[in-house]
Amino acid sequence: MPIIKQQAPQISGEDKRQRPRDFDGLTAALNSGDEVIRRWAVRDLAEFPAAGGALAARLKREPNAAVRNAILTALTRLGDKEAVDGLVECLRSEDVALRNAAMEAMKELPAEVAPIMDTLLSDNDPDVRIFAVSILESLRHPRVEVWLKAVIEHDPHVNVCATAADLLSELASEISRTALERLPLRFPEEPYIAFVTDLALKRLNEDRSR
Amino acid sequence: MKRILIVDDAATVRLYHRKILESACFAVEEAVNGIEALEKTLRAPFDLYIVDVNMSKLDGYGLLKDLRSRGMPQAPAIMVSAEASAKDRIRAFIAGANLYLLKPVKPAQLLSHACLLLGEIYIGKVRP
Repeated sequence: MPIIKQQAPQISGEDKRQRPRDFDGLTAALNSGDEVIRRWAVRDLAEFPAAGGALAARLKREPNAAVRNAILTALTRLGDKEAVDGLVECLRSEDVALRNAAMEAMKELPAEVAPIMDTLLSDNDPDVRIFAVSILESLRHPRVEVWLKAVIEHDPHVNVCATAADLLSELASEISRTALERLPLRFPEEPYIAFVTDLALKRLNEDRSR
Repeated sequence: MKRILIVDDAATVRLYHRKILESACFAVEEAVNGIEALEKTLRAPFDLYIVDVNMSKLDGYGLLKDLRSRGMPQAPAIMVSAEASAKDRIRAFIAGANLYLLKPVKPAQLLSHACLLLGEIYIGKVRP
């Protein structure tokens, strides 16, 4: 039986721009019942620096995958506070696909995400902290290891620390050695923590012996 | 030999689960997301699935729903997640999970539940 991957609906190339192409007309078009019209509106709104809020609000209730992807692309391109706030809000969503899409978008915004990373990593919800750590996996930013080290030193939740230690097992340098050595002492009842820190320290030792 | 598929986007988690399950002589394969898991399943179905929730392309819920709707032999599935709420558990069971384990999983916990679902006898302690 062949796998039929879920495809985003085919998007017509037809230009369905009907309303005025000003900011108000485009934000109104975001609520059209026609997904092609909504997608064109998103595409055009990406040219308006003030569109982040309207796009982020639409993202939370947009059912169409293609329009949703267009909004994420637009928010990534805008990259201002409103746009980033909209992406962060998606991390709290029950919708796993939306959450993952927002995380992927945020990974492309190191300069914009870096100033809010400390806030994300101190969020009351451990799930949000785990997602923030996951964003660090591909965030090209010089402070990534510093953030991860702080997580394994201070975060009280085992799964937040486990996720951070996972990443450190791939990118840790000597900076993180002591924190990694101490992590199993913080969670002595957790074999996974012992396993992942052992892996990270082995890799660190291999790097040192090269 | 019973075949188990571990579906998780974190390589370290896959390695940890693999070591635990191989210590009890299960044949283990890995997939990094739901799409890869489905592709491997279509080539040769597995006796048990151990599935993470958050994965790109096709998440754990989507994978289980897809597996359960394909009319293939209904192998049991353990969903492994860091999300602890009752709502998350119920969602997993509705998607088709037989068990819901919280991360980080302890070796004896994973192995005893795998044996239970596979009709095997659990013979004691293991270390990853």
